[in-house]
Amino acid sequence: MNSKNDSPLYTRRQAIGLGAAALGISALARALPAFADDAISRAKIVGAGEMVSGGKYKKTGSYRIGFSNGFSGNTWRTEMLYSIKKEAGQHKDIADLIIVDGQGDITKQVNDIENLVSQNVDAILCIPNSGSAVAPALRDATKQGIITIPFNLPVDGEAWTAYNGTDPEKKGAGLGEWLRGAVGNSAKIVALGGLPGNSYTAAAWKGAQKAMEGSNIQVLAFKDAYWEEDRAKVVMADLIAAYPQIDGVWCDGSQVAAGAMKALLAAKRPLVPVTGDDYNGLLKLYAQEGDKNPKFKIGLLSEPTWESVVALRTALKLLNGEDVSKRQIIEPRLITSDNYKSYVRPDLADGVFVDTDLTNDELKTLFKS
Amino acid sequence: MTSVPRSSGWLFRPLAWVNRIGAIWFAVTLLYGVSGLISPGMFQVGQVLNILQVAAFLGVIATGQTLTLLAGGIDLSVAGVVTMANIVSTSVMAGRAETMVQGIVICLLLAAVVGLLNGIMIVEVRVTPLVTTLGMNSILFGAALIYTGGAPHGSISPGFAVFGQGSYLGIPISTVCWLLIAAFIIWVTRKTTFGRQLYAVGANPVAARLMGIPVARIKIFTYVLSSVLAATGGLLLTSYIGSPSLGIGDQFLLTSIAAAVVAGTALSGGVGSVLGTIGGTLFITELNSFTNIVRVSTGTQFVLQGAVIALSVLMYRLGGLSRAST
Repeated sequence: MNSKNDSPLYTRRQAIGLGAAALGISALARALPAFADDAISRAKIVGAGEMVSGGKYKKTGSYRIGFSNGFSGNTWRTEMLYSIKKEAGQHKDIADLIIVDGQGDITKQVNDIENLVSQNVDAILCIPNSGSAVAPALRDATKQGIITIPFNLPVDGEAWTAYNGTDPEKKGAGLGEWLRGAVGNSAKIVALGGLPGNSYTAAAWKGAQKAMEGSNIQVLAFKDAYWEEDRAKVVMADLIAAYPQIDGVWCDGSQVAAGAMKALLAAKRPLVPVTGDDYNGLLKLYAQEGDKNPKFKIGLLSEPTWESVVALRTALKLLNGEDVSKRQIIEPRLITSDNYKSYVRPDLADGVFVDTDLTNDELKTLFKS
Repeated sequence: MTSVPRSSGWLFRPLAWVNRIGAIWFAVTLLYGVSGLISPGMFQVGQVLNILQVAAFLGVIATGQTLTLLAGGIDLSVAGVVTMANIVSTSVMAGRAETMVQGIVICLLLAAVVGLLNGIMIVEVRVTPLVTTLGMNSILFGAALIYTGGAPHGSISPGFAVFGQGSYLGIPISTVCWLLIAAFIIWVTRKTTFGRQLYAVGANPVAARLMGIPVARIKIFTYVLSSVLAATGGLLLTSYIGSPSLGIGDQFLLTSIAAAVVAGTALSGGVGSVLGTIGGTLFITELNSFTNIVRVSTGTQFVLQGAVIALSVLMYRLGGLSRAST
């Protein structure tokens, strides 16, 4: 479903996209070029679950919107914050956008949400630090008639108004399927995830394992690499010493993928197929090393930084009395060795996530490059 | 100095003997042997060099941490200083060759200022080391966020990569840097007046003051040294990875203390050695490397690491090692 039209009836193009998505990898997404300025309108967002009636939320006048961000400090969150502020600035009916930062602390985030309720906001957007911990606070807010929209990471239960984000298990499966195709059915791979115990990596890896079922692919090791390049490089260096043959690397994030490839380079080993997301550092590395390493291939599924914009637009639709889907699942863009040139930003910092609605100039301002 | 009665008996005598030959080196050798038997990859020359290369970052940072512990303090701002060095150096260098020295010098000067502020807060304002340095760590992370706007940019100068990625006669240059720095600090702590005063201040600051030792100056200088060494470790790590990352220093907050403590440095001050911390650093890095290689979950990895660290401290206590100084 397109974000500009929440009708439950799919257009022909969307139906094609759904079919493609069912195959694990969206061929339609591959066909779409990356234009930052209209990334959202070109993206495919699939509605799921019941429709939420906007009638009871309809309100005239100006709106107060609260956003509880679980933490900040990585470039994905920075771009996401820039996007939501930019979007809010374009809506004259938004009187206030109150952004609070949970600083990675579960308790603080719950308190932040309660504070937003006491500030009489009309809607609360939220990226949870913990899907279970914020659920009661969002439920209480919802009971008081406030629109609650978690996005990016899911919240337990259904006691919130609407949700949008990618599906990590499906993404993991897509990456697993791509890697299986790239390395063959009897390869030896290693897998590198994010922070220990995080639900996103767990779901993505679960999907990947399902995608590799029935093959003879041997998973030599699964290790957490904290979504940090330096940590991934150290872990991968150890794995290189332990395993003389590594044919591919499954990662759920490209900082980790870049670190793993840099470890292979340091060990003077040929680069191998690797998965990840839309982190510019890996795309730049591929542009630099791809030709020298014939086996080096990339299969990446993006995590759009404009999910915050979709969440804000959903809140505004409800406040305008429009109906929306309970869940809006965003189809990530597939970036491979064939189309990476449409996405790589050689003139921008490694930390840029390229599936963004920000323009080149905005990114240059943000990253001071 | 804490006094623990020397234990006797069948259990304690071997432990005391191990202490005399250097318990941490015994542990490093034992762990290496056991891990190599379980995972032969650990015996490869390449893996030994890899461990030495990675250990260098922690090693330099833990050297500074050991000095603050010896002086009876603690420095929890090392994580923030490492992040600051990473962010500032990549930002100043910005991938250009001519800005390399500038980037290094600015980082070291900033670190010296951070250490000086820590020292003044602790000695003159009398805020406890734990609170001061933890607060400084938070300030530094916040400053990094403000400076970068959450979007770090830049990269290292082309020639700078040699410190973290290069090697000389097969030995990683980061390791050479670490060992040279550690050797110099060992000499300082063992052979200079400052070194002897450092131990005296850590063991009993009141007695040290009565003996005419400039306790305040020694403590402040120790925090300056700790910060500068943390920045040096951060620069080596930045050279290793080449790009900025806001979370890069977090891993050193507690590992820098662990590397000193497993080698017998007491949190109460006045006991321990920089030489031991070299062994402690190798031990922690070996343990990380080993648990990365063997097929255990991250949860098991944490349990193993915690248990081994706790066990090593227990062994020191049982063997009466808390009486040892240099």
